[in-house]
Amino acid sequence: MSAEEWQIIWFTAWVAGLSTIIILPFGLAAAWVLARHDWPGKTLFETVITLPLVMPPVATGLLLLTCFGNNGIGGMIHRYLGFRIIFTWRAVLLALAVMSFPLLVRSARTAFEGVNPRLEQIARTLGAGNIRVFFTISVPLAMRGIISGMLLAYARALGEFGATVMVAGNIAGKTTTISLAIFESVQNFQDKEAYRLLGVSVVLAFVAVWAGEWVVRRKKS
Amino acid sequence: MAVLLKNISVPLASFTLRVDVEIRGRLTAIFGPSGAGKTTLLDLVAGLRPADFAFVQIDDRVLTDTSRGVFLPPRQRGIGYVPQDLALFPHLTVRQNLLYGQKPREGANSSLKFDRVVEVLEIPSLVQRRVTDLSGGEKQRVAIARALLSSPRLLLLDEPLASLDVPLRARIIPYLARIRDEFGVPMLYVTHDRFEALALADEMVVLVNGTVAQAGPVNELFNRPANSAVAGVLAVETVLKGLVEKVENGLVTVRVGPVTLAAVDQDFSSEQREVYACIRAENVVILKGAAIANSARNHLPGVVRMLGNDGPLMRVELDCGVPLTALLTRRSCEEMKLAPGDRVTAQVKAQHVHLIGRLPNEIS
Repeated sequence: MSAEEWQIIWFTAWVAGLSTIIILPFGLAAAWVLARHDWPGKTLFETVITLPLVMPPVATGLLLLTCFGNNGIGGMIHRYLGFRIIFTWRAVLLALAVMSFPLLVRSARTAFEGVNPRLEQIARTLGAGNIRVFFTISVPLAMRGIISGMLLAYARALGEFGATVMVAGNIAGKTTTISLAIFESVQNFQDKEAYRLLGVSVVLAFVAVWAGEWVVRRKKS
Repeated sequence: MAVLLKNISVPLASFTLRVDVEIRGRLTAIFGPSGAGKTTLLDLVAGLRPADFAFVQIDDRVLTDTSRGVFLPPRQRGIGYVPQDLALFPHLTVRQNLLYGQKPREGANSSLKFDRVVEVLEIPSLVQRRVTDLSGGEKQRVAIARALLSSPRLLLLDEPLASLDVPLRARIIPYLARIRDEFGVPMLYVTHDRFEALALADEMVVLVNGTVAQAGPVNELFNRPANSAVAGVLAVETVLKGLVEKVENGLVTVRVGPVTLAAVDQDFSSEQREVYACIRAENVVILKGAAIANSARNHLPGVVRMLGNDGPLMRVELDCGVPLTALLTRRSCEEMKLAPGDRVTAQVKAQHVHLIGRLPNEIS
């Protein structure tokens, strides 16, 4: 494998991992709020969160491109913070995070709903505040669902194509992920490269799923 | 200790829970049939359920006052709660469960030290175990210990024995009595079992369809139910406080005031000297005129105090040195021409005198 291919593999695994870690706190908060509370705009909130899952990824990408382009939030960030988002690795991160967020939330929400609310209530009578209850009761008891949610999110991020190509382009050495590279190789009739990267994707996915299963198993015993 | 529950109004599926009561007992039984709103009431006191109208005060601390918008969150209430399903944290060990709520609170009950609580409830050997490996009775004691270790000002117990089989219940009751006596934490004890109420409680609040039907000292409630609803729920007409004099050949002799009663030994340990003797009204036979020899062990001469209708039957209140209620058919009353002031003899078979061991209660 060429140095360029190693760079692509490393970049993809790393940026997908970072995206999963970044969405984790927001995903858990959203999942918990959805599982435990009711409010008038709940359905709207749920729908907005689920949109990236049902919309064509390219459409989501276009939406992100519009929002984070130079005429949108991206321009403001550039002016005040001095860096660009669109067509940089940050855009890859943004696309992966947005696309995998609903998967984490759905899985974690189901897990939180499976936690007996009585346990959380009794923890409160024992003097625990909301934050302590969340971290010592809700999260540990929902851990298996949270882990499988993270896994799904990570796997989704590894394979993301449509949104990434819209907001980050396919800039060699900067924003090319495995999926983009496979597509490009096939386009250029470089079948060998494409199949090598295909093999790498299979291995990465396998390792991620296997590691997740292993953690869940350990949790259970 | 005084728990004040005022103007409580919570709409539930089939009725509205309405409570207005002051509780002063060390161990107060909240008694009522299933679905009477008992658990809802505990949730309300613990702050786990909001109410449109409620006023909850323990001693001089107002916990909930909807009229002034006061609502203390559960963690600040200092109320230990043992729910019916116990809610032990399955991912933690017994020790971690026990320590979850432990904290030195200002003015906290100093007798509630970890070692002492664990010892009184006889769970030291369980401390390292996983919660999921415990038996029903062990879980029960761990849940109670966990609540106690949070140094509560009030302990709420929701049918703590309901999920246990009868022999196990009998083993847990003494632990509850020990808690009551040793740690001095006042308790509200939800139950629909009158034997538990009689064995443990000093006071009782009877809830029927979400309303307080009657409240007061336990034996008073059993002897003088305020209305037929309470009498029906309690299902015992006569409850007499007595002392066991001797146990012989399976027959227990109990002294109740000036009267001696014979009962069949129901397997309670002889050290429980103080008992309640319970007699259901339909088991009392009334004889007028000369007594005829018969097999009943208890013959109590007395005077008819009052006659009243009770559905198709007549309720006859007697004074035999102790109050006694009999339930007769209208026909029998007419044939005997029973009237207030008549001298009669009440007969009760020994096996119809049900004894409930009263646990030692040195403080009250």
